[in-house]
Amino acid sequence: MSVFLIIKSLLRRKVVTALLLLQLAVTLGLVVNSLLLASAAKELVDQPTGLSLEQILTVWVKPTSKALRLEPALSEVINRQLAAVRQISGVEAAVYANQIPLRQGGSNWNIFEVDRQDETNVDSVPYYNSSEQIFQVLDVRLITGRLLTELDRGALNIVLTEKLAKQLFAEQNPVGKVTNNGTVVGVVSDFYSQRYASHPFYGQIVLGPLHRAEQGYQLIVRVAQGQSEAVRKQLTDVIRNAEPQMDIGTVLRMDENRDDVFRSEIGLATLLAVLSGLMLLVAMISAYSHAHFHALQMQKEVGIKRALGASKARVLLDVLSESWLTTAIGAGFGILVCYGLNISLAKVISIPAVPVWLPLLTLVLLLLCVTLATWYPARIATRISPATATKTL
Amino acid sequence: MIKINNLSKIFRTDLIETHALRQINLQVNEGEFAALTGPSGSGKSTLLNVLGTLESFDQGDYLLDGRSVKGLSDRELSALRNEKIGFIFQGFNLIKDFSLFDNIELPLRYRGFSSTERKRRVEQALETVGLAARRDYHPSQLSGGQQQRVAIARAIAGEPRILLADEPTGNLDSLMARQVMELLEKINQQGCTILMVTHDPDQARRANRHIQIVDGQLNDSSMYEPLAAGA
Amino acid sequence: METLIHNLKLSWHSIQRAPLPYALTLLILSLGLGTFFSNATLYYWMNRDPIPEKSQTLFMARLNSLPGDCTDCFEPPRVISYMDVQKMSGSGITSAEAAMFSSNAYAKTLENQQATPSQVELRVTQRDFFKLFNVPFLQGETWPDNKARMEVVISKNTAIKFFSRTDVVGQDMLLDDKLYKVIGVLDDWSMLPRLYDVNGRRSAEPAEDIYIPLETAYDLAIQSNTQNSFTDVDWDGNMATYPQMARTNFANMLQFWVQLDSPEKVQQYQQFLKNLVQDEKAAGRHPRPEGNKLDNILDIQKAMRATNDQLDAFALVASLFLLVCVVNASHLSLNRYMANQYEFSLRRALGASRWQLQSQIMADVLLSSVLAFAAALVFAQLGLWTINSLLPGTRALASWDWQMLGVMALFVVLVSYLVTLYPALKTSFSPLNQQLKQ
Repeated sequence: MSVFLIIKSLLRRKVVTALLLLQLAVTLGLVVNSLLLASAAKELVDQPTGLSLEQILTVWVKPTSKALRLEPALSEVINRQLAAVRQISGVEAAVYANQIPLRQGGSNWNIFEVDRQDETNVDSVPYYNSSEQIFQVLDVRLITGRLLTELDRGALNIVLTEKLAKQLFAEQNPVGKVTNNGTVVGVVSDFYSQRYASHPFYGQIVLGPLHRAEQGYQLIVRVAQGQSEAVRKQLTDVIRNAEPQMDIGTVLRMDENRDDVFRSEIGLATLLAVLSGLMLLVAMISAYSHAHFHALQMQKEVGIKRALGASKARVLLDVLSESWLTTAIGAGFGILVCYGLNISLAKVISIPAVPVWLPLLTLVLLLLCVTLATWYPARIATRISPATATKTL
Repeated sequence: MIKINNLSKIFRTDLIETHALRQINLQVNEGEFAALTGPSGSGKSTLLNVLGTLESFDQGDYLLDGRSVKGLSDRELSALRNEKIGFIFQGFNLIKDFSLFDNIELPLRYRGFSSTERKRRVEQALETVGLAARRDYHPSQLSGGQQQRVAIARAIAGEPRILLADEPTGNLDSLMARQVMELLEKINQQGCTILMVTHDPDQARRANRHIQIVDGQLNDSSMYEPLAAGA
Repeated sequence: METLIHNLKLSWHSIQRAPLPYALTLLILSLGLGTFFSNATLYYWMNRDPIPEKSQTLFMARLNSLPGDCTDCFEPPRVISYMDVQKMSGSGITSAEAAMFSSNAYAKTLENQQATPSQVELRVTQRDFFKLFNVPFLQGETWPDNKARMEVVISKNTAIKFFSRTDVVGQDMLLDDKLYKVIGVLDDWSMLPRLYDVNGRRSAEPAEDIYIPLETAYDLAIQSNTQNSFTDVDWDGNMATYPQMARTNFANMLQFWVQLDSPEKVQQYQQFLKNLVQDEKAAGRHPRPEGNKLDNILDIQKAMRATNDQLDAFALVASLFLLVCVVNASHLSLNRYMANQYEFSLRRALGASRWQLQSQIMADVLLSSVLAFAAALVFAQLGLWTINSLLPGTRALASWDWQMLGVMALFVVLVSYLVTLYPALKTSFSPLNQQLKQ
């Protein structure tokens, strides 16, 4: 049937059509925005971190006895734990640290070049208080200067990530510059440090004792390729054997820490994906019922058309094209809804703008679903005998 | 125009078989105006449906305009109906969501005519039935007689070889019925073959041939008349 | 009553005649309602007033007193210093006031010293905490003043966990190897959302296990486990000097709550803070612009940017989904009624009044409501379970009380009525002859 005629007959059934279009429009709007959020979440999770996620294990620990949380007992306990951990086969390096990268919240200092505090001050930069092997554990590259060694322990020497060094000193050589937190001796490649710090890739590393462990501390272990599961199994017991008075958190691989940080985004994206699936299901049920009702209610009409010479294929096409047309018109309004919803959502969460191709892709998806759902009732319609036309109902 | 030989149709349910049509032979020639009468349940509607290829049959053969309809696919049958047959129903059977114009145009669309050709034919058909001024009306805005005239316009717009009418005046009062009959006669005079089912003896008499069907078998009053030599 | 039963029977028959369309309508409707309910449940617990009897009188006070000459820093920090609290306390305007922060420790009892200590959540606070938030005591009472003392108030569950009974006033407990005396046991109590401390978006967490005096915590160098902000602090890390350092520096970790019983008191306290800042500025302190905040407890999540944005976004989407489902269901139900239209017309032709048909429709609505409510609750449970496993920090928000169930049931009836309304009107009020003719 011609588009024109379908539109005419839709206009005769204003309420039904309006309901159908409204529903299709909102469905398209929601599916588009859900896909958008899902892809944004995926991008967030998949962004490069500068860390070999699969080869780093972390575990939070805290002595349950107050005395063990203070020096000198603390250092002694940590050394015992690290020595034991390094004995595990598959472990390449292990360090303690006040915090780990890729974790929500943590310890931050501001940093500035001593002579130029006002121009250079950067608030809230995560600092890592750790030991020599930290660079090996994180597998960061030296960009310039040198790495810290045990000789730097207690000295006010500091290593910065590349982005932070750029921010502080621009094109100047950072090595030898004096900051409020120590003298810069080296710059290392960037790694994802802390999500809500001034910049996620800013970080400063110093070597020194923890002094105290009221919030506990982290043990970070570098394992050989493919060994993370084997090491993970033993880690908790080894740490406990080294010092029984210890609260030991869950051993996490670095990618699990990452997923934790983005859990809200992943969660919402998954939730909306589920809801989108439901929406499509609802759209399919609706298309199915509408076409089914049509086939039953319009028996006479289909019969007349058959008597006037419409072939089965023609009837099938008629029913399908009505579905396609309503879907397309609904989706047309849906584009408005999808931009409107996008703007409303952007007020509460961060969501990227709608790219032009996405509504089109969703339209195709919607058409596919609708076709699938309409197929069976449309087939039923083709089975209506042309003799129906001559029966008086 | 129509030639059927030994045609039978049987309705089957799980329990019983009903012989709706028993070995019917019938020939309708070009230009005839034939009336088909019979009591209810006699099989006249079934015969009309079979003639209109709306229903299949079980035995025998049916040649429409010299072509056997047996074994034709749905697509071929549909095309055949569309081109050669015009239907007029007792209940008019207009599509109520469509305007008069759209209703008449519908079978022309199936034929694949261009839109100018369709427009020309629809307007001509409306002219013939005297409703040209109401082309954008909807069926519900018309009287029964007017609706039936639209249905006739729809049936003739495609210039079919034969018009099948199923009690075309059954739902109309006598005045309107007369108008419709006059219209049909006019169409017949223009050369269109008409086969009309009716239960009204007056109308049957107005036709130039009267076929009776009783219990699935024909009693053709003109069987014994000479077949109006090639007319 | 008999009519109702008759009508219900008729409704049931009409469902039986075409069970698939009805089941689909119901499925769609309850899917929409279920999703909406699961979100509304979380939203309700997140945004309700947990202490309606006095929420209008509770305020959190903050000063913008951080050092550093920053002329465009108008927003005070989320946590304030000991010095700030000292200055804001004792105004004489408030009827209760308490500073606080959260921490944790390892606890065991004296009798059971060999046991592995278990971690307990601490609220470090002052005497008025319990009065401020209407916390009920089962045994004993709060501290007599705000001085340091090795005395704790514990929750009922903590008492049962460590002592297997609740009358434990006078008993001793070891917290991080220090000995404390229990002076009070609370009755069952929780605040949801936990508005007295929403920092770090922790408003869905349970109330703490053990309450210890603020001064004691400063003496023993117990620190906040939520947020410690040191600004311009010069400290060598020597624990012996911690108490002195933390009390005299911008070692910010406190939240300060006050109870102001009338709008006039609120006004007075605001003026008090204003005067305070003027005096400070005159003394060469408080270099930043005045930015005093006195946030009501009901605004605190917004003020501390602790709202759950994901839930808000989902709320928007879930409402739209409900809209789609309702629209869809009414579309389906219109189809269903149209299919029954002939019967309706016949019954009217046989003399049924419109009112009788309407009451038939109401029976339909009632039956649909009951079925949809049951199905919606199932879907809502599934939805809550999914949300809980996907969004962190929503687990505490997933329960229903009778009142909520009642509101939900009412909502279902309303929606079912809406869904049925137009189709019912259309079928029972369109011209009779037109329908019978078709």
